[in-house]
Amino acid sequence: MSDNDMNEREKTAMTEEQIETEDVSDANRGRVISDSTDEADDVLIETGPTAGLDDDKPSRGTGQTIVESRNIDVWYGDDQALRDVSIAIPENEVTAMIGPSGCGKSTFLRCINRMNDLVDICRVEGELTLGGKDVYDENIDPVALRRRVGMVFQKPNPFPKSSRDNVSYGLNVQGIEGDHDEIVERSLKQAALWEEVKDRLDESGLGLSGGQQQRLCIARAIAVDPEVILMDEPASALDPIATSKIEDLIADLAEEYTVVIVTHNMQQAARISHKTAVFLTGGELVEFGSTQKVFENPDSERVEDYITGKFG
Amino acid sequence: MMREAYRTQLDDLREEVRGMSELVIERLNTGLDALSRHDDRLARTVLHGDEAVNQRYLSVEELCIELFALQQPVASDLRLVAASFKIATDLERVGDLAANLGEYTLATEGEAFPEVDVTALGRFALSMLENAMEAYAANDPYLCREVAARDDQLDTQCERATEVVVRELIETDHRDDVGTETLLADVSRLFLTVRDLERVGDHAVNVAARTLYMTEGDDELLY
Repeated sequence: MSDNDMNEREKTAMTEEQIETEDVSDANRGRVISDSTDEADDVLIETGPTAGLDDDKPSRGTGQTIVESRNIDVWYGDDQALRDVSIAIPENEVTAMIGPSGCGKSTFLRCINRMNDLVDICRVEGELTLGGKDVYDENIDPVALRRRVGMVFQKPNPFPKSSRDNVSYGLNVQGIEGDHDEIVERSLKQAALWEEVKDRLDESGLGLSGGQQQRLCIARAIAVDPEVILMDEPASALDPIATSKIEDLIADLAEEYTVVIVTHNMQQAARISHKTAVFLTGGELVEFGSTQKVFENPDSERVEDYITGKFG
Repeated sequence: MMREAYRTQLDDLREEVRGMSELVIERLNTGLDALSRHDDRLARTVLHGDEAVNQRYLSVEELCIELFALQQPVASDLRLVAASFKIATDLERVGDLAANLGEYTLATEGEAFPEVDVTALGRFALSMLENAMEAYAANDPYLCREVAARDDQLDTQCERATEVVVRELIETDHRDDVGTETLLADVSRLFLTVRDLERVGDHAVNVAARTLYMTEGDDELLY
């Protein structure tokens, strides 16, 4: 599949995720959530912000694991994209995923917020938890999950709406209460975009530069206050200055969120991440450790060969 | 194999460091010969030949900076460039110490304390440096640790040499043999020679420590 096709699919997915809150196309939706409450019989589809997940978010900055996979295998039809991947992603840190094209790093990213559910031929086996809770549990609503696990894509994909509406969109469709203007301002400030757009909040987000559009998408992702932000090559379409701004932003975001970033740019992974996961051909997670260790003295010879450019 | 030009540059760097070390080792050898044979001609050769070492040093430094800036080496490549960058500094200092030996030779008239075998100290330190560079060339972590372990022996020998001189000064009245000024100059020079040779050993240990880091990512000898 070409990148363009992928982006179209991603955009569709993003839109579906945010608009179609009553959609029951996902396999695991439409189940009775619980029979322990009186309302259970009336609520066939729970689409509330924390459906199936604990209301209490784990406390931040603990250095604890927030996302953990155990023996994850993923197939697209007969092709195995991930093989027995087990990884524990720490909270409030930046974890980079690197590896050659087709190694499964983006597939893994999409397992975390169940974006792979949107691919008919995709099959996921194994266990993947968010805050200790299995995200593939039948009680979990993927839409609620994706509110806790935001995503930013390679190509900036703002909605054809004003900057303000772009950021407040998720708040509206998720029915999140509170002062939306305040949340919009806070999100734009966190995304280091406020100063550049504060005087033109009602102008179309599509009128912004590529780097600004990407920061707008980040503001949109953090407006609904997720715990984890997944980024799939967020700076690969940007020039070095816009890239630097995104990289600075990622460092700031890690103070409040957990960031998992897929990048082809190894130097970017080295610059911005605390931990690095190296996937190699065959969908195998070959090494996962502190970024300094991986780039200074990796354990695996295959990783050494890959990052020094002896193959790849 | 990918990035062929880059790999060639890394090989060139390794060769450049080896070439620099050969030059430095040769100069140290010459300095020791000058000292042991009281050969003023050799002494002048080693005293005035430092510029070639400095040029090699600058060339290594330039290669390293170019690799850092343009190739952003990682993993074992990073360790090779970082270690080479530091090793070149140590080699350059040994070059300076070799020049000192030439200077001491020219300033010395006779053999003031023949019981102190500075040439043996020098050969010991020189062999440490040679082995450290063999370890660098062959990626030999065992030899790195072995070189580092020998530094204590060198230090002990240097301390003993100093003690011998001090003891003799205390026990013997030299005032009748030579003038006080001459004796002072001879003793100072001898102490400086011993100290310089002990430093050659320290630089050899530094080379071994950087080489161990380079080969195994192990910084145990660095700190």
